[in-house]
Amino acid sequence: MTDQPDLRRALDLAASGDRAMVSPETDLARARAAAQARSRRRLRTGLAAVVVVVVGGIGVASLVQRQADERETTTPQDVLTEPITLVAMPLDAAPYTFDLTPQGWSVQAQKPTAVTIAPDDDSTSSDPDDFEGKLVITFDDNPLAGARVEHEGRTFWVIGDSGHTTMSAPTGPGEPSGVVRIQYPDNSGWDRHTMMRFLASVHVGDDAQPSVG
Amino acid sequence: MGARRDEEFVEFVTAHRHDLVRAAVLLCAGDETMAEDLVQTTLTRLYLSWGRMSRAKSQLAYARASLTHAFIDEMRRAYRRRERTHESPGQLAGPGQVEGSDPHLRQVVLTALATLGPRQRAVVVLRHWFDLDTAETARILGCSVGTVKSQNARGLAHLRELLGDLERDFFLEVGL
Repeated sequence: MTDQPDLRRALDLAASGDRAMVSPETDLARARAAAQARSRRRLRTGLAAVVVVVVGGIGVASLVQRQADERETTTPQDVLTEPITLVAMPLDAAPYTFDLTPQGWSVQAQKPTAVTIAPDDDSTSSDPDDFEGKLVITFDDNPLAGARVEHEGRTFWVIGDSGHTTMSAPTGPGEPSGVVRIQYPDNSGWDRHTMMRFLASVHVGDDAQPSVG
Repeated sequence: MGARRDEEFVEFVTAHRHDLVRAAVLLCAGDETMAEDLVQTTLTRLYLSWGRMSRAKSQLAYARASLTHAFIDEMRRAYRRRERTHESPGQLAGPGQVEGSDPHLRQVVLTALATLGPRQRAVVVLRHWFDLDTAETARILGCSVGTVKSQNARGLAHLRELLGDLERDFFLEVGL
């Protein structure tokens, strides 16, 4: 129980009010519509993936070549899901800040050890401890691993596993020493180039703490 | 499966929608329109992940956490501020909406809440309206216990500053 009973009463008063009753059926209809929209979206993504596989199978050379270039970290869904757009707007997730903001994504949780960023379309869990379908930015002391990729003078390490890709880079000058990593789902519109730009825009603040593990 | 989910959803909404709206009104500092939007978003999210919801120890606690996440998400979207056309959150709670209490006093509390930052307001609501401890509040907000403590202390100090002079008359007047 809180030690602020007066505040509790004040909040009770503030929350009071005569409000029109809303039928639960209205909420149910809205929720069902959202569920159907999600199913259609998933179906479209699935069909798109099938199309890529079929096209690849009949040997369209240019597409196969492009797929080959990105095979290391990219799934078919990445090619056809609507691509992520980064806008030049600061994204504050203290102690981490980004110079770029992914359109349609928002910070869901921020801790000294990690930041979770989720899509705004309600397609993922609202539980910040559930990382499925979200970006997870972590800071740690673990060694760099994966394929080395150069981008605008910086080196990134990329590794894919179980439908996710993790991109890592050493922290920049003046930042706490360590490695900053972003794990992102392969079927969410992020491609390697966009993610490198996003990761390159991160600033690790002094309050960041390396995660263990 | 679908029919059962629908049935459970309707049952939950019937029992708890009113509670969620009240909590949302506090989080939104009296902005009834935004509060209703928030509740609709939350209920839709709950329906979409009903499996998790039905496994929760307390469905109401799970829904309250989901409501808070929806609120924080909403406040973080930069366009939200640009799109809002209301004069101020506190001004939306007009006289005549309050039953059994002085609308002016309600307005004073909502206006005071509106002066807190969104996360600070969320901390105050979670700690003092939902009665959650600092650890659970930190888990829901995705921050450290230390951050919750400091935000709570600052929020309370600010509210005390704004409401302190009114406190005695305030509670006598509403018969508490």
